[in-house]
Parts: sequence; structure tokens; C-alpha cells
Amino acid sequence: MPSPTEILVAACLLLGTFLMIVAALGLLRLPDVFCRMHAAGKAGTLGVVLIILGAVIALAGTPNDVSIRGLLAVIFQFLTTPAATHLLARAAYVCDYPLSERTAVDELKAFLPSRPDQVFNQE
Amino acid sequence: MSPFLFWIATVCMTALLLTAAACLYRMALGPGAADRAVAFDTLANVFISIICVLCVAWDSVLYFDAVWILTLVGFLGSASIARYLERGRVF
Repeated sequence: MPSPTEILVAACLLLGTFLMIVAALGLLRLPDVFCRMHAAGKAGTLGVVLIILGAVIALAGTPNDVSIRGLLAVIFQFLTTPAATHLLARAAYVCDYPLSERTAVDELKAFLPSRPDQVFNQE
Repeated sequence: MSPFLFWIATVCMTALLLTAAACLYRMALGPGAADRAVAFDTLANVFISIICVLCVAWDSVLYFDAVWILTLVGFLGSASIARYLERGRVF
């Protein structure tokens, strides 16, 4: 019979893995780059944070305790991933990446005009 | 190391490897640098997860430093790709 700590670790790992699978499915299936960023940025961040927390809980109290480093990694993850996703989305919009045909309204058009002279590496 | 956590870690590892394959597929398919950058970001997260699951399965912290180093390197990679796409240069 597993102990309560082990059940908590297993729940963290399984939930985190499920969220990573959701992120990868979104990456594969969604129609344009902004939708893919939406899937990968949110589900991916929460999934990796849950898995790091699972490892921290599993190793807490043993001689090789990683609480400080693990919590530092969680804070870094929460600080950096939204910033990186935001930068990439802005760059993709400015570079005229095509929106999906099912896009209903493009509110950014009035504020962030695209610059066709800045298109790089688009196939 | 209990057999219960070992089986959980095995299941998680299998699923995470499939996830990494999906990210690589999107990275190969494209279509465009921003898609590849997003796939790279997710791939870095998948590798971080794999390292954490290995730490649980082996009851060792040998590789745990790689977790937060990979976090920072993944952010720097995405940020420099975004700056290059937007301005045509990184610095």
C-alpha cells in the first residue's frame, strides 16, 4: 500500500504528464501559430511546474533534498514562459504570420500594424 | 524506491517521450520559424519534465541542476528568436 506522500507525488506526476500531452496535442492539431502558442504556453507551463513539484515532494526529507532549487525553478518557469510566449506572439504578428480562416475579429490590427519589409524566414 | 512510484514513473516517461515526438514532428513540419520556436519551447519543457521523472525514479539529484539551467536557456532561446524575427538582428 503506497504512503500518502507517494500518492501525492504520483498525482502531481500524472497530472503534469496529462497537461504536457494536452500541450503537445494542441501543438499538433490547432490551426495557426497563435493558437499553438496558446496551447503550449498555458498547459505546458502548468504541466512542467506540477512535475517539478512532484520531484521536490518525492525527494523532500531524504538526504538529497532539492526544495530550494526546485522552488527556484518553479519561480523561473512562471516568470519566463509567459514573457517568452508574449515576445514570440508579438514577433509572429508583426511578421505577418497568417491567421486561421476561422478568426472572427483581429483587434490588434489597429494598434500593431504589420511591416511587410520585416518578414523573415517564412515559407 | 517503492515499486508503486517506479510504475508511475515508467508510465509518465512513456507518455513524455511520445510528447517529445509530437514536438519534434511540429518542429520538422513548420510552417515558419515561429512555429518551430514554439515547438522548441515545449520540447525544453518536456526535457525538464523527463529529468524530474528520472530524479524520482532513480532517487537521485545528479541531474536536478539541469532543470533550472534548461529553464533559463529555453527562455533565452525563445527571446532571441523572437527578437531576430521582429527586428532582423538579435542585439
